[in-house]
Amino acid sequence: MIKGKGISKGVGFGKVLIVEKQDRKIKKEIAENIEKELQRFKIALEEVQKDIEETMEKSSGTEKEIMTAYLMLVQDPTLTIETENLIKNSKYNAEYATEEGFDKIVKMFEKIEDNYMAERARDIKDIKNKIIAKLFNEDNINLSQLPEKTIIVAKELTTSDTAKLDFKNVSGIITEIGGVNSHTAIMARTHSIPFITEIYKITEVFNDVEYIGMNGSNGEIYLNPSKDEENKLLEIQRKIFEENNELEKYKNIETITKDGFKVELLSNIGIPSDINKVLDCTAEGIGLFRTEFLYMDSKQMPTEEEQFFAYKEVAEKMQGKPVIIRTLDVGGDKEIKYLNLPKEENPFLGYRAIRLCLDNIEMFKIQIRAILKASAYGNVFIMIPMISSIEELRRTKEIVEQCKNELNEKNIPYKKDIKLGIMVEIPSTAIMAEKFAKECDFFSIGTNDLIQYTVAVERGNEKIAGLYSKYHPAVIKLIKCTIDGAHKEGIFCGMCGEVAGDSKFIPLLIGMGLDEFSMNSNKVLQTRKLITQLDRNECEKLVQEVINMTSSQEVKDRMEKFKK
Amino acid sequence: MKMKVKKVILKNESGIHARPASEIVKIASKYQSTINLIANGKQINAKSILNIMSAGIKSSSEIEIQCDGIDEEMAIQELETAFNNNFGEQ
Repeated sequence: MIKGKGISKGVGFGKVLIVEKQDRKIKKEIAENIEKELQRFKIALEEVQKDIEETMEKSSGTEKEIMTAYLMLVQDPTLTIETENLIKNSKYNAEYATEEGFDKIVKMFEKIEDNYMAERARDIKDIKNKIIAKLFNEDNINLSQLPEKTIIVAKELTTSDTAKLDFKNVSGIITEIGGVNSHTAIMARTHSIPFITEIYKITEVFNDVEYIGMNGSNGEIYLNPSKDEENKLLEIQRKIFEENNELEKYKNIETITKDGFKVELLSNIGIPSDINKVLDCTAEGIGLFRTEFLYMDSKQMPTEEEQFFAYKEVAEKMQGKPVIIRTLDVGGDKEIKYLNLPKEENPFLGYRAIRLCLDNIEMFKIQIRAILKASAYGNVFIMIPMISSIEELRRTKEIVEQCKNELNEKNIPYKKDIKLGIMVEIPSTAIMAEKFAKECDFFSIGTNDLIQYTVAVERGNEKIAGLYSKYHPAVIKLIKCTIDGAHKEGIFCGMCGEVAGDSKFIPLLIGMGLDEFSMNSNKVLQTRKLITQLDRNECEKLVQEVINMTSSQEVKDRMEKFKK
Repeated sequence: MKMKVKKVILKNESGIHARPASEIVKIASKYQSTINLIANGKQINAKSILNIMSAGIKSSSEIEIQCDGIDEEMAIQELETAFNNNFGEQ
């Protein structure tokens, strides 16, 4: 048995298919038959064009716009003139002519001093490699048509490779490089395919292995498993299957406690395509739509139109269910070139999120207008991160009003009564919650930051990780203070941090009267199941006990003992 | 031989990038006329995305649109409108 890091749950058995990128040598040859060489080049080019066209048709939103330009590029006759001339005039073989011909164009693009154009140079190199791979007949492994029960083994699987996968016949993926948040991992989880990464010297390890069994939950891989090992895995598989079947029952129902207290159960998303998972788990809306992807994946400031399309797509697909869009939440810890954020000693206490936006009003207004415009297409809410003082809230509201007036003048429709709320993630705001509640429409508690700011422990610092505790009595008090403050003024209070989906914490939150829980889509059904089994009276008693405790350990012990 | 010529200013803040470039190609390719853009003294084939992108046209540049052919009138009008509307961006 070997062990890696499991990043998508589930058990799978299958035959190993090693997907390898080969190093190839391109030799310069003089072609005997020029017509044949030209023909070979044209066929390879057409195949690449067809592949790109197919990928484009499958994509949507910003990705589709990018792929449209990409397709035009590969269909542009100017792109291949040089290569064709090299075949016709210098009688080079197609491989060498492609290499030389495309490199000339790449150099031309690289000469233009512009980051964006340097990226296009990479696109052209990519097209070149695809054509040469076709000429070498390299992709005889057709990822979109696999034999039944295949386990894909690769050093690294790119997003476009994964997008092509014939998922119904893939029973597992194993790679050397791959992160929990890579697109490949996300897609594997969406398709419930086990995925294990961090297996070093991967092609050597699997070279002589035909059949394997794998468990994506704990990262265990059995090479040519014995009968016992296979039975053990089958048992785990059966359990997962039963659990999933059980959870199916909780689709498309309301989230209500045993004694009839209804809460909203929502999903957090980071990119528009996450919406498929939201619809699949039947979440009741989106409690946190992070908008950073628009800024991080881009070489330049996203335009109002790009943002509008991304927000509108999500708003429309949710068909009237709430979509809470959070405005830009970045700081000096993230590198976004065009924002020129200064490196700071304490980025988490620095120039970030709403502080940055209120200092760059024109940029902020672009986002606000895009959100307002999208609000005409669904039930959109605006949420402001990192609010620490009432002045920031007031200033933000002024800006939103200005944006509304601009749209009014142009007769552009938007939701006139759009709700504006704040993230409560800074202790000063949690303590003053009652006052903030008078001036905004809702709260959403961001527990990850609230904890780190309350106990003064940076989340990523391993030396002090033991001090970072969601069970800290002060954290519990701040959460309660926030919920109580909201209810006193009759506004709703949600939570979109990790704690909202934590099964040990949920009884306490129900007891405190939290109105809305927002979490990753893969936790929605199990949370709905848990909440339907809770009794609110019992949960309230738990709050009474816990709120008077002194140490994190006491709180933790009590909450772990809670019986539903 | 007479062709249609019009001058426009590129409003797009970030110059001609993928989206505006593909808009220009989409429009130009609909017409039979020969369509060129003249910017910074260079002649650019408006039906070639490669040509347009590699020209590196910066924001606020003056661009001359030249259309020559049986449908030149329609072509130049549509292109001029697209430039003036900044290709649908704000």
